[in-house]
Amino acid sequence: MGLYRINSVVNLLDKQRVESTQPFAVAPLAQSGREAVSKRVRELSPNLPASDRAVGELKGGRGGAEQCLDAIDPVKYGSSRNHLDGAVTQLSPYIRHGVISMGEVRDRALKLSTPKQAEKFIQQLLWREYWQRIYTAHPERIWQDVEAYKTGFSPEDYADNLPRDILEGRTGVGCIDGFIAQLLGTGYLHNHARLYLAGYICHWRRVKWQAGAQWFLAHLLDGDPASNNLSWQWVASTFSHKPYYFNLENVDKFSGFNVDTRPETNAPLAGSYETLFARLFPNLEPSR
Amino acid sequence: MRLDHPVFQAAGGSAQPIFIWDTQEHDKRGYSFKRRVFIYESAQALNIPIYAGEPHEVLSALSDGSVLYAADTPDPYIQQILAELGRYQDVVKIGTEDLSHIPANADMGRFFRFWNKAKKSALTASWEKDETGHMIRTERHRS
Repeated sequence: MGLYRINSVVNLLDKQRVESTQPFAVAPLAQSGREAVSKRVRELSPNLPASDRAVGELKGGRGGAEQCLDAIDPVKYGSSRNHLDGAVTQLSPYIRHGVISMGEVRDRALKLSTPKQAEKFIQQLLWREYWQRIYTAHPERIWQDVEAYKTGFSPEDYADNLPRDILEGRTGVGCIDGFIAQLLGTGYLHNHARLYLAGYICHWRRVKWQAGAQWFLAHLLDGDPASNNLSWQWVASTFSHKPYYFNLENVDKFSGFNVDTRPETNAPLAGSYETLFARLFPNLEPSR
Repeated sequence: MRLDHPVFQAAGGSAQPIFIWDTQEHDKRGYSFKRRVFIYESAQALNIPIYAGEPHEVLSALSDGSVLYAADTPDPYIQQILAELGRYQDVVKIGTEDLSHIPANADMGRFFRFWNKAKKSALTASWEKDETGHMIRTERHRS
């Protein structure tokens, strides 16, 4: 977004020339609604594959943000936020695109509850601010390893690109394929599901975090280079003390009924943390 | 993408806000259709003119050398555009206030070190802070 002072009237092209690189004014939509917006976006995006048709449930703009803001419950959030069906806000796409400020969200939380009750809620906002501060001070850290891997492997041991089965959500691991379907279909994933999926890609499939981060940025409505990429580095262990991994028992504990956590369809994730650690990080000394 | 961003106040009432739809950058970043729909909806809700094209060209053509106000961002792509424009005209970048106030030399190596420094100011509502962002000290008197 930009603002300029009007010194003179500039005649831009009044016809849409989407195939041209010349700038032009986009005519206001005659009709409201998602169908009209979708059509307009398609016109403005001639290189977008026709097969890419999914649209998320969240509607962009201040109205959608206010609906989410009116529904926040900082107390419930604090006790249930790690559960995939917990009282999360879905405000992140609006914060990401500046539709609503973090200050407004924080202030609403403090109107509804005491600072102590709102602490977990506001702490999550502070994660976002933390990532933004690092992005501002060190933009190069967004795509470069901040630290060495602490997995017993070097960057060369990781694949550069995502395998096709991950891109298409056909890994054969039930809960992982479910998370991928949600990502591709809606552009939204609960934070814990993001950690599961990122952990699976980095440590089970040994793919560079950069490949996963790029994929998330393409699909997440709230895809933000700082929050997304630095969180991937936290999972990968290039910006944390140790790699993030999980087991099926943990997914089951934090999942609702709509996540496939059957042992027979999630075999690679089943086992104790000790067993999985030995399998995923064979070059490291057992630590848990 | 909000009309209460401080950049509007800084630019003044005579400034013309616009949104730039940058198809080439969306393509380069691989943005999916759903991301683009969300962004377009958010821009449309502002009820300001939308221009499509390369931001440098759009802003050069429209601003005609006058002062340009932009919402600040760490995004290197936007920073580069504003830096190039700044060679020929005044560019004013306006940021937003941070939630927390921490010492300039605070340890940012891990989140919880940051959190320990930031917590007090972050848990204080805007209405309890003065214009500089510092907490307003309230004195309570018992009668």
